[in-house]
Amino acid sequence: MNISDCMKRNVVSISVKATVREAAAIFVRKHVGVLPVVDKSDKPVGVVGLRDLLSLELPVFVNFIADVDYVHDFGAVEDTHPSAKTLNQSVKAVMKDAVVVDEDCGLLRAYALMLQHNLHDITVVDKNGKLSGIASRVDVGISILNAWAKIK
Amino acid sequence: MNVLSAVLASLIFFGSLILIFSERINRSIVAIAGGALMVGLGKIFHFYSEEDALAAMDFNTLGLLLGMMILVAMLEPTGFFEYLAVLAARASKGKQVRLFTLLGIITTVLSMFLDNVTTVVLVAPVTLLICEIIGVSAIPYLVAEALLSNTGGVSTLIGDPPNVLIGSAAGLSFNDFLIYSLPIVFFCWLGAFALLRYVFKKELSKRPRRVKAVMKLNPAQTLNQPEAARRILIVLGAAILMFFVHHVLRVSPSLVALSAAALALVWVQPDIHETLKKIEWSVLLFFAALFVMVGGLEHAGVLEVVVGLFRGASGVSPVFFGVMIIWIVAALSAVVDNIPITVALIPVIRGLGESGMDIGPLWWALAFGAGFGGNGTIIGSTANIIVANLSDKTRTPITAKLWLRRGLPVMLITCAISSILFALFYPLF
Repeated sequence: MNISDCMKRNVVSISVKATVREAAAIFVRKHVGVLPVVDKSDKPVGVVGLRDLLSLELPVFVNFIADVDYVHDFGAVEDTHPSAKTLNQSVKAVMKDAVVVDEDCGLLRAYALMLQHNLHDITVVDKNGKLSGIASRVDVGISILNAWAKIK
Repeated sequence: MNVLSAVLASLIFFGSLILIFSERINRSIVAIAGGALMVGLGKIFHFYSEEDALAAMDFNTLGLLLGMMILVAMLEPTGFFEYLAVLAARASKGKQVRLFTLLGIITTVLSMFLDNVTTVVLVAPVTLLICEIIGVSAIPYLVAEALLSNTGGVSTLIGDPPNVLIGSAAGLSFNDFLIYSLPIVFFCWLGAFALLRYVFKKELSKRPRRVKAVMKLNPAQTLNQPEAARRILIVLGAAILMFFVHHVLRVSPSLVALSAAALALVWVQPDIHETLKKIEWSVLLFFAALFVMVGGLEHAGVLEVVVGLFRGASGVSPVFFGVMIIWIVAALSAVVDNIPITVALIPVIRGLGESGMDIGPLWWALAFGAGFGGNGTIIGSTANIIVANLSDKTRTPITAKLWLRRGLPVMLITCAISSILFALFYPLF
């Protein structure tokens, strides 16, 4: 079994020309956690996750203080939103490099890559390098566990 | 004096200084390479040996720095610094001026006994947190913490690396610093604080948006290891008491610091690998390598020439000469690292002493110049660089221009106050 057997083929993606604001709107409309960013020939050039957008609203101190247990009220931060300028910038400013695998990639290799790069979803491309699917940790993990049923 | 040796030693030393100040290559790497080259060429041209290089290293300075670094490295993960900052936030009830004053005092007092850099590294992030949750600009607080920790550090033997160097070279005790430096620094601090309040009065007069958030900070939850914190603070307190009497007991400050570190290690038994990882080995190696290089300069006879040049200038009145040192060293320290400046000037001052000049007051002039000079620019001290880097991640970063507008006046006022007091009380030094 390989990744193409468990990936989702109906992928919502976003153009590299889109803005952060447009990306946020697609997340809301499609209720997804990750969006591959593609160029005009549908090849992945990056990936933007819910996390990348949310970090625009997180307070700065979260980057420096690992333990926020003692902060019981985030106060003014709770109603601070990103500026219009931040929202109108290109999605390229917040996207991460795409980690892609081919359709014939094995499940364990795909899972190991996700662990290594701390990804919840991995982008799959076809022979021509075009976006063909996306697989989550759950998709990959369930397929691996599914094979255990056959172990006698 | 052999001219070739002097030229070679000067080339190595000043070449290394230029590389260090250009900041293209890490300063510790430059210093280690320069030190090795100095000993190597010294052996070939017979002006410097390995034994000389070992003797040139000031182990009192290295031991004192290492001992204090170990104590701080152990105290850091206990959450004690966050605890203090959270207490200050609650005591301020979210009122800006009160918060500014309390955080300023905490940073100053901590930096009198601990390394400025560590103090700022640990207090600044919590400051940012407090400012973000009450909804005010963190810039006045971060700038003030860096400037006040630089200023406070000048007051004690252990507050600042240049002081450690000067104290060790001049044989000044912990109490000497309390008698001669602390009172002057106290007035400089008041001047700096008043000036900071003035230059940031617009930011500090704004009403915080969510005052109540600070009252929900829970100090008890900041202390991850209360028992370890208690033990380390007891040892640190005992070490400070020992510093008061170290000269009476004829014990070096480095033995006090290393013994305290040893005692704390035995009592707390932290994960030693984690503790040692937090020691700034690059700083210690930088010091050691600088000592080796300056030793080479001394053995090649270069410093005699420099001393001769200074002696020419010593025709002026001694008070004026001291004040001149404060301002020249401060101006240099504002743009370049004050550690190599101090290491290079120590043998020069010592040489002036050997030529019959009264150098007692000059050590203090050097300490004031090296300490206060760092306030002048965004790159003047490591503490400044740390708060600037932290603020880079915020929406309103501290720029070099902003530092010149707010920090340079602080440098000028502290140098001016220390110069006036230095001149007024010159006979007492």
